[in-house]
Amino acid sequence: MRLSFQAKNTLNSIFWYLLLIVAAIAVLFPVWSAINISLLNDTQVASFPPKLFPTQFDLTNFKRAMEQAPLGRYMLNSVVQSGLVMLGQLLTASLAAYAFAFINFKYKNILFLVFLSTMMIPWEATIIPNYLLIKKLGWTDTFQGLAVPFMATGFGTFLLRQFFLKIPMELRDAAVMDGCGHLRFLWKIVLPLGRPALGTLAVYSFLQTYNQYLWPLLITNKESMRTVQIGIALLQDEERFMFNNVMAGVVIILIPTFLLFIVSNRQLIRGLTAGAVKG
Amino acid sequence: MKKSLFFVLAVVMVAALVLSACATPATPTAAPTQAAPTSAPTAVEPTQAPPAVAGITKVNFWHSMAGDIGGKAIPQMTNDFNASQDKCYVVYSYAGSYDDSLNKLKAGLQSKDTPTVIQLYDIGTRLMVDLDVAEPVQNYIDAEKYDVSDLEPNVLAYYTVNGKQYSMPFNTSTPMLYFNKDMFTKAGLDPANPPKTFEEFAAAARKLTVKNADGTSSVYGGAFAIYGWFFEQFLAVSGGEYVNNGNGRDAAATAATFNSPEGVAILDWWKAMFDEGILANYGRTTVDTRNAFLAGQTAMFIDSTAVLRGMMDGAAGKFEIGTAFLPRPNAEALTKYGTIIGGGSLWIIKDRPQAEKDCAWEYIKFMSSAPQQAYWQTMSGYFPIRKTAYTEKLAVDWMAKYPPFTTAIDQLHAAPNNRVTNGGLIGVFPEARATIESTIEDVLSGKATSKEALDKAAEAVTSAITEYNLSMGIK
Repeated sequence: MRLSFQAKNTLNSIFWYLLLIVAAIAVLFPVWSAINISLLNDTQVASFPPKLFPTQFDLTNFKRAMEQAPLGRYMLNSVVQSGLVMLGQLLTASLAAYAFAFINFKYKNILFLVFLSTMMIPWEATIIPNYLLIKKLGWTDTFQGLAVPFMATGFGTFLLRQFFLKIPMELRDAAVMDGCGHLRFLWKIVLPLGRPALGTLAVYSFLQTYNQYLWPLLITNKESMRTVQIGIALLQDEERFMFNNVMAGVVIILIPTFLLFIVSNRQLIRGLTAGAVKG
Repeated sequence: MKKSLFFVLAVVMVAALVLSACATPATPTAAPTQAAPTSAPTAVEPTQAPPAVAGITKVNFWHSMAGDIGGKAIPQMTNDFNASQDKCYVVYSYAGSYDDSLNKLKAGLQSKDTPTVIQLYDIGTRLMVDLDVAEPVQNYIDAEKYDVSDLEPNVLAYYTVNGKQYSMPFNTSTPMLYFNKDMFTKAGLDPANPPKTFEEFAAAARKLTVKNADGTSSVYGGAFAIYGWFFEQFLAVSGGEYVNNGNGRDAAATAATFNSPEGVAILDWWKAMFDEGILANYGRTTVDTRNAFLAGQTAMFIDSTAVLRGMMDGAAGKFEIGTAFLPRPNAEALTKYGTIIGGGSLWIIKDRPQAEKDCAWEYIKFMSSAPQQAYWQTMSGYFPIRKTAYTEKLAVDWMAKYPPFTTAIDQLHAAPNNRVTNGGLIGVFPEARATIESTIEDVLSGKATSKEALDKAAEAVTSAITEYNLSMGIK
C-alpha cells in the first residue's frame, strides 16, 4: 500500500508532534513538580509512592514561606539588581562589540583576546577583591554594590561582536557617506538588527544575576537589601526540612523569570523572523 | 520607527518586571508580621524596628538558622532583648549556612566588616580559636563571676579549649535512634524495649525488614544517612577517639585515630547489615532518610534530637514514633561512654569596640537565660543548655506534647564527661567529614574493606591536620 503525499505528511506531523510533546513534558516536569509539591501538606509530601497531583488547593505553604522569609521585598531587590545588571551589560557590551566589529584600530585583535581571556578567570578568584573594593566605596547594602561589579562582560561583548560581524560592511560605508556618525549608526542600524543577540544577552544576564547567592550574601546585611536566593536558603531549615515550604518559595520567585521569558520570547522570535525576511 | 521599537520594548520589559515584583509583595508585607507563638506584640518583618533611643550601642549578630527558627524564633528573641534594654540594640541577620557564614566572616576580617556576635557550628571551634578572632566568653564569666553551675557541663565542655570557655553554647543536640512503633508491634518486637546495642539493632532490623519474592526489600529494618557526624557519634559511644592528644583537647591534635578497632567495627557492622538488605542507604542527605522513614520505607533511623518535632508532626495520624539512645557496641558502653553534643554556639569577635562587646555579652546572657532557652527549645527542638529551663511552663507543656524528647535529655545526662564525649577538636573538620563520608561509600560499595578504607582516610585527614597546623603555626 502506498500512502498518498498528504497522508505521509500527516503521519510526519504526528510523529513530530509526539516528539515535541515528549520533549515538552520532560522540560515542564520540574516546574510541575515544584508547583505540585508546593500544594501538598506536611504528611503528603513524604508519602510513598510520591503524589503526582495535589488533592487540594491549599496555600498554607505559601503563607508559611512568606512568614519565614520576606520574599516580596527580596524579589523586588533581585529584580532591580538583575534589571540594572541587564541594562548595564547591554550598554557596555554593545558599545564594546561595536568597536571590535566596525572600527579599525591598533592592537584590536590583541585587545579582543584580552577581553576574551576575562571569561577564563573564575569568578571565585575575583570575589574577594571585588568585595574589598565595594566595602571601601561604602557600597555595602546598596543596589550599586549589588549590580555594578557585573555590568561589564567579556562574554556579552563576544556574543554581540560575532553577531555584529554578520552585518555587511557596505551598510556602514553607505551610512558614513550620508554623514552618519558611529553612535547614530549603532543606534539606528546595528542595534535594531542585533535584536535577537541583544535579547539573548538580556535574558542570560538577568537570569545569571537573579540566581546569584554568594555575592548578595557577602555584601548585604540589612534584611531590606537581601535577594531571593538568600530567601530560599532561609527556608531550608536543616532540622525540619520541609520540601513543600521550600517549593512554595521557589514557585513564588519563579514569577519574574516567567514574565521575562514571556516578554523576551516574542522579542527573540521577532528578531529571528526579521532576519529571515531580509535574506 | 524601528529605532525606538527596541528601546520601548526594553523599557516595557523592565517596567513589567518591576511592576510585577511590586504587585506580588502586596500580600506578603501583611502576612509576615509573624504569628508569634508566645507573646510580645513586636512586629518582626521585614525589617526590625529602629532603636528607641539615639546613641544606643548597635550590635550586629549573624546567625545561620533557617525556617521557623530563623524567621520567627531568632527575631522574636532578639526583639525581646532589645525591648528589655536601653543601652544595647542587636540587629540580627541571616548569614547563610554555617559554612557561608564562616566564609563571610573570613572575608569581613580583612576589611573590619565583622559582626560582634556570630553563631557558628560545633566543628568550627578549633578554627575560631586558632584564627584568634574571638574574645573568650570566659573573660566575661570571670570578670562578672557569672554562675555557670546551672549550665549543662557536657555542653560547656565541648566549647572549652585550653581550659577556657571560648564561646557560649546556644543550639545543641545529640543523635538518637528513631523508630516506628507500629512496625515494631507488627514485627513482634516490643516498642517499650528498643534495641540498645549494635547486635540488638541488627536483630531488630532483620525482623522489621519485609522482603519481596525476588529477595529485594520493600521495607528496610533501618537506614543510616551517610553523614560524617554519625560516624563520629558511633565512634564516641564505642569509646574511640577521633584524633590523638586526648581528642585534640590536651594539646593540638597531630594525627587522626579513627581507624582504630572501634572505628573498623562500626563500618563492619554497617556494611554487614547493608549487604544483608536490612539497612537502607538513601545517600548523604539526611532529609532523604527522614522522608523514607515518614513514608514507611524504613522502620528505624538515626538523626539529631532536633529533628524530633518535625518528625512527629510529619508522622501525625500515620504512625507513632519512638526514640532510644544511640546504639552502642556493647551493654557496658551505655554507662562508660556517650554521645558528643553537636549544634552551634555564640562567639564574640574581639576586634569590635568594647561597648559593643559588652552588649554582646548581655545579649548572650539573655539568650542563655532559662525563659529564652525554654522558648528556643519549643521552637527548634534543640535542647536547652540550662537545667532550670526544663521547669519553665513552656518547656513542661512541650515535653507533654512530645514525650519522646525525654530520651534526648536522658542521653545527654547519661553521658560521662571525658575526652571521648567532649568530641574531637580539629581545624579541618569539614574536610575530615567529607573524607569519612566517601570512606563509608567506598566500604558499602565494596571498593575497600573497612580497615583499608579507614586507614586511607586517616592518612588523608592526618595530612590535612599537619598542613593546617603548619599554616597556623602550631607545633
